[in-house]
Amino acid sequence: MDQAHQRAIAVIAHIDHGKSTLSDRLLQLTGTVSDRDMREQFLDRMDLERERGITIKAAAVRMGYRAQDGEDYQINLIDTPGHVDFGYEVSRSLAACDGVLLLVDAAQGIEAQTLTNLYLAVDGGLEIIPVLNKIDLPAAQPERYAEELAALIGCDPADIHRISAKTGEGIPQLLEAIVSKVPPPTGDPAAPLRALVFDSVYDTYRGVIAYIRVVDGRIQAKQGVRLMVAEFEAEADEIGIMAPDARPVAALETGEVGYLIAGIKEVSLAKVGDTVTSRTAPAEDPLPGYREPKPMVFAGIYPIEGDDFPELRDALDKLKLNDAALVFEPESSTALGFGFRCGFLGLLHMEIVRERLEREFDLALIATAPSVGYEIELMGASKTVVRNPTDMPDPSKIEAIYEPFVSVMVVTPSDFTGTVMQLCQERRGELKEMHYLSTDRLEIRYHMPLGEIIFDFFDQLKSRTKGYASLDYEPAGMHPSNLVRVDVLLNQQPVDAFSTIVHRDKAYDYGKTMTERLRKLIPRQMFDVPIQAAIGSRVIARETVKAKRKDVLAKCYGGDVSRKRKLLEQQKKGKKKMKQIGSVEVPQGAFIDALRVDTDLDAQAKS
Amino acid sequence: MTLVTPAPSTRTGHWMSDPGFGVYVHIPFCKHRCHYCDFNTYEGQDELHDRYVEALVGEIARWEGPVAPATSVFFGGGTPTLLTSRQLGRILAAVEQRLGIPPDAEITIEANPETIDGPHLEGLLEAGFGRISIGVQSLVPRVLLGLGRTHPPRRALDAIAAARAAGFTDINADLIYGSPWETAADWVTSLEGVIASGVDHVSAYALTVEEGTPLHTLIRTKRVRDVDPDVQAERHGVADDLLGAAGFARYEVSNWAQPGRASRHNVLYWSAGNYLGFGAGAHAHLDGRRWWSTRLPRDFIDAVGSSASTEEGSEVLHEDQRAGEALMLGLRLVSGVHLGAFRDRFGTAPLEARAPIFVTLAEAGLLERADGRLRLSERGTLLANEALCELL
Repeated sequence: MDQAHQRAIAVIAHIDHGKSTLSDRLLQLTGTVSDRDMREQFLDRMDLERERGITIKAAAVRMGYRAQDGEDYQINLIDTPGHVDFGYEVSRSLAACDGVLLLVDAAQGIEAQTLTNLYLAVDGGLEIIPVLNKIDLPAAQPERYAEELAALIGCDPADIHRISAKTGEGIPQLLEAIVSKVPPPTGDPAAPLRALVFDSVYDTYRGVIAYIRVVDGRIQAKQGVRLMVAEFEAEADEIGIMAPDARPVAALETGEVGYLIAGIKEVSLAKVGDTVTSRTAPAEDPLPGYREPKPMVFAGIYPIEGDDFPELRDALDKLKLNDAALVFEPESSTALGFGFRCGFLGLLHMEIVRERLEREFDLALIATAPSVGYEIELMGASKTVVRNPTDMPDPSKIEAIYEPFVSVMVVTPSDFTGTVMQLCQERRGELKEMHYLSTDRLEIRYHMPLGEIIFDFFDQLKSRTKGYASLDYEPAGMHPSNLVRVDVLLNQQPVDAFSTIVHRDKAYDYGKTMTERLRKLIPRQMFDVPIQAAIGSRVIARETVKAKRKDVLAKCYGGDVSRKRKLLEQQKKGKKKMKQIGSVEVPQGAFIDALRVDTDLDAQAKS
Repeated sequence: MTLVTPAPSTRTGHWMSDPGFGVYVHIPFCKHRCHYCDFNTYEGQDELHDRYVEALVGEIARWEGPVAPATSVFFGGGTPTLLTSRQLGRILAAVEQRLGIPPDAEITIEANPETIDGPHLEGLLEAGFGRISIGVQSLVPRVLLGLGRTHPPRRALDAIAAARAAGFTDINADLIYGSPWETAADWVTSLEGVIASGVDHVSAYALTVEEGTPLHTLIRTKRVRDVDPDVQAERHGVADDLLGAAGFARYEVSNWAQPGRASRHNVLYWSAGNYLGFGAGAHAHLDGRRWWSTRLPRDFIDAVGSSASTEEGSEVLHEDQRAGEALMLGLRLVSGVHLGAFRDRFGTAPLEARAPIFVTLAEAGLLERADGRLRLSERGTLLANEALCELL
């Protein structure tokens, strides 16, 4: 279709503000999906997404629409991931659009993530169509939040669409606005092919399916293509559109959105942000904005049953086909055996990977406490990166330690301002900015170490603000900090899985917590077992598991020796299952239980 | 099958290479079941007594296996003294008739203080019982109440005195320590009272909370404090001190005796000896085969009545298992196991196979070797399970 009749849009919205329902309604009203085939949250393909109510992988759907001006338009709806961990992917999805629907729950107002994505869209020069959803709810306050939105994007409150994606109210007007307000694409049809990869997924049968938007030129089936960043060349086996099911086409013209299948074996060869060009007549420069996915959060993942290690390796290899951001390398721990140190975009990404490993590959896993990547400047000015606390060099050799910081944005009702500030301060945050979105809601920005928010910051924020505050963050560089490694020693023997890097002021708390937790989990031995937390050789906390004093059966009931022997045989079996750390016998589950910190990401996803 | 010939009666409490031949008779009836009890015993089955006695007599008479004179006979329960001395005498006579009982045999009956008076005690003596084991448990009302015992402390002391007066020369008092209701002072009171009563033998057992008992439920639901193994270790030491000072020597983890008054039957168990078991849920052992009877009195009666077997289950131990079990049992005796005699009974292989474990356990301070004997160290006594489970 000619460029003038094309529109590409994305919906940016907070989780649960109704993006999927709006998409469903648009698909229905444009006749893209018949009423008979309609099922809820049509575009959220993966089980996992459906259960969590969030979208992980973007999908792009082409809808045909006959506007009131009598003309036929092509509306491409590009779905965006809705979570902070996928900020970069969101930015690429937005780069494939010309406009966005800013969708806000009329009962809740704009939330932090939406705000971040809105700023991204504004920076990208996209047309913003503000929409208040759920106006059918009794709790809806469209007037109030219209004011808030209008102030944010500088428009008249009357220009804000008020809809109910659930009932369909206001959707026809919204479709008209998409056609009239969002500009058509501006690429050059005569220039060499440049198509932006804004998402890619791995399919067992077809290999990688790359979702693309043709920015310049055109792409034809069977032509030779080249992925400019990956420097990978292939044949375009199939190109097509999603309407909403995959439908092969002969070509995609400038401005059109679709998919490309080119026998690519893993998604890391067609990463989000890469540029597809022609093999024979390549463009000179790739499209701007590409960034390598950068893992921010690291954790050791171990099979609970040591025998499952090969299965875990296979499973990670398979996930990697579909997840260019996942990195991992084998590591071993005296406490947990063999496993992998994995890098993730963020906590949710970590939780998703873990859940998929457990669900799709039927593995029972334990993860060490998540940590961030540190840069260590050694005496003599060489630098090293540490992603596992146990790799931290000797403190005497360290000149300085840098840790990743993030710019944290919290949107909160003003009642909780003090609460939020206190929490951020506790987590070594430095207040940067604070401004009112409306009379009773504000946006607060803090500069804060990433390491401080990966534990339970989000849970704390939610519980202390009764669920009202929302959070978003973006990387803000590496900065020096007064950090130390705290080791936990069991009978003088360090237990690697519990070593952690924390700010000096928090070392004691960590040490105290871990030694106490372990004291409760380590059974009494034949001798006193000290459990210590130490920085280098300095012990900062200590607990003792007192020696066992009595372990003997009282009597032998009426000559029932068999029972007595069975009890002892059981005891022996139990001992065999113990892990030997030095001379201490530790139940297999003890370390795992000690590591089990409820980070409750489910709550995070649902908020 | 070879049977050991009965040895002359010995009451030193030492491990015996030739422990004799024992008979256990189980009486599965109680007036009240105690809160901590998980023995095979039943309340409110008085109407079964006669039939049960008949069945027992029948069961003993029809025994067709190996026969040897019984060097020790033990009537346990339940509460054997719920039966009349006539009934108990009939059962004992059946044992004598079938197996023979030499004059120096140890014949023990367990008794609840509430079920014995002068005539009953005299009847028991007449029937042939020479040793009586009285369930005192505690001499503190609060502790007795907690354990679910219905008699006052005085009653137990009276029973001991009555037994002595009737002519019993071998009296044991059973005690339980370390229950949630007991203080350190309570335990001293019980020990001192029992010592003063002039008994010849004391069995003091740490209270064990068994699953399925009312006590277990009370603890699980946090209505009663759990027992504390450290406290129990403490009380065991107190018992050793007080009883030791009164002339009792401990010969097994939970048993103390005046010189020459150790229980022969008890030592037979710890010496992995042979014994027959008659009655509901009774256990027997002959040369590596262990078997046990059906648990319900009614089933037992029916089986005997219809000439069916009462055996509910059995196991046969292979050579090394027998040796391991003999160590598990024998090391509970203070004397330990005589290595030479052990070798004669079980061969050298089991000891050689366990040599590295002996070394490890010795290094851990649990086991020691002296005078040709292997025994638990003082510290090892209360940590016996740690050592014994390795030796199986």
